[in-house]
Amino acid sequence: MIRPLTQAWLRSFSVQGSFNYDRMVGLGLAYVMEPLVRDLPGEDARGVRYRRALARAAAFFNAHPYFVPLGAAALARAEREAVPEAQVERLKNALIASLGSIGDRLVWTGWLPACSAGGLLVSVAVSPLAGIAAFLIAYNVLHLLLRWWGLRAGWRDGVHVATALSGPVMRLALRVVGRAAPLAVGVAIPVAAEWLARGAPPAALPGVAVAGVSAVVLGRWLAPALGGVRIGLALVGTAFLVGLLWP
Amino acid sequence: MDPAVGWLLLWGTLVGLDLITWPQAMIARPLVAGTVAGWILGDVASGAAVGVILELFALDLLPVGAARYPDYGVGAVGAAYAATGAPDTLSWGLATLLGLGMAYAGQTGIHLVRRRTAADVRDLAEALDAGDPNTIRGVHVRGIARDAARALGVTVLGLVLASAIRAGPLMTLQGTALLQMATLGAALGVGVLGAVRLAGRGPGRVWLGVGLVAGVTWVLLT
Repeated sequence: MIRPLTQAWLRSFSVQGSFNYDRMVGLGLAYVMEPLVRDLPGEDARGVRYRRALARAAAFFNAHPYFVPLGAAALARAEREAVPEAQVERLKNALIASLGSIGDRLVWTGWLPACSAGGLLVSVAVSPLAGIAAFLIAYNVLHLLLRWWGLRAGWRDGVHVATALSGPVMRLALRVVGRAAPLAVGVAIPVAAEWLARGAPPAALPGVAVAGVSAVVLGRWLAPALGGVRIGLALVGTAFLVGLLWP
Repeated sequence: MDPAVGWLLLWGTLVGLDLITWPQAMIARPLVAGTVAGWILGDVASGAAVGVILELFALDLLPVGAARYPDYGVGAVGAAYAATGAPDTLSWGLATLLGLGMAYAGQTGIHLVRRRTAADVRDLAEALDAGDPNTIRGVHVRGIARDAARALGVTVLGLVLASAIRAGPLMTLQGTALLQMATLGAALGVGVLGAVRLAGRGPGRVWLGVGLVAGVTWVLLT
């Protein structure tokens, strides 16, 4: 089974290629799962079980992209073991909730900001090229491992895959990154600020502070739904217009 | 055409694809995208500077669920092109404004790509519900191609606008300095907002506080 698993792993890197608002990542799930159900045991010549398995997968599904291989492998295993359709659906629904939550906490709000902050620090303290190398290597070690581990765990455990998600290593990892991310970002912000402001005249610092406080007030209290990019566009765009008119 | 522009178009497309579609290895982070764009242009320092500024903006971004998120990576490529070759750091402000605009345009493009893929899914719902593997592969591959076209389009737009910025000063020295102050302040403010949101309530905030103290100590000691 190493060849289909490898094919599924490689396909998983494009799992969000067909992301859409109707079925979310459902088509991506089916695309990743396809090599794992291509030779279902007991299949007839028309490929009825194969097509039903793909159709079920291609309906609505959503999860963190790095954890989709786990879901694809677990569902493929269930299909190969001829688990009743209702039970496959229950498994799929349970995976939507748990894979999204764990993936978001482990990667998007944990490992990614921690590595990003680490990359900023190395960029400032050593060199920009060293910073991005450190960031990409550190981040992608976990990224690649997660995709492969999830695929193996889903394939091994099938409908019982929840045991892999609630193991002590996963709990420890969630606890560690939950602390490491705010700690690393906290260190990185003042260091990056000092690096960017290096060489600026002292008279400019109050202006920087006014803009910073304005961004915080805008994003925290006045317009929390605005988001960073629109806050930036509003403040920097206003300064640009004023700058154009400056005599 | 400057050969470096061709490489930037390729890099911008790869960076835009990486954000969501393939392979999500985080070359789309502005720190990476901007620094590499600067290296392509022979000015790593300027590319890294706009990359760091946009990375602070990106700290506010938590791409959970089906959230829409700005394409800061493509923005960093355009910003690096605008910033490189400039005589001093005062070019960062205008470059960052361009990067933010490109990031927002990229976000809008992502929304359009997803809507078009949803229309594709609705048109082919019968074949998809029958589990036809060729239809599934076709919709998937077309989605990837659409996103690549989106990334390329935003990169082209950004590089055209960046060329105008490189062509000459648009404002007085005082106006440029004002823009620079607003850029640094806004980046730091948004970065702090992102850090507070990331830390949430409870122990995360304590760890953030410890990190800030450690960071300030680092600055004072070095």
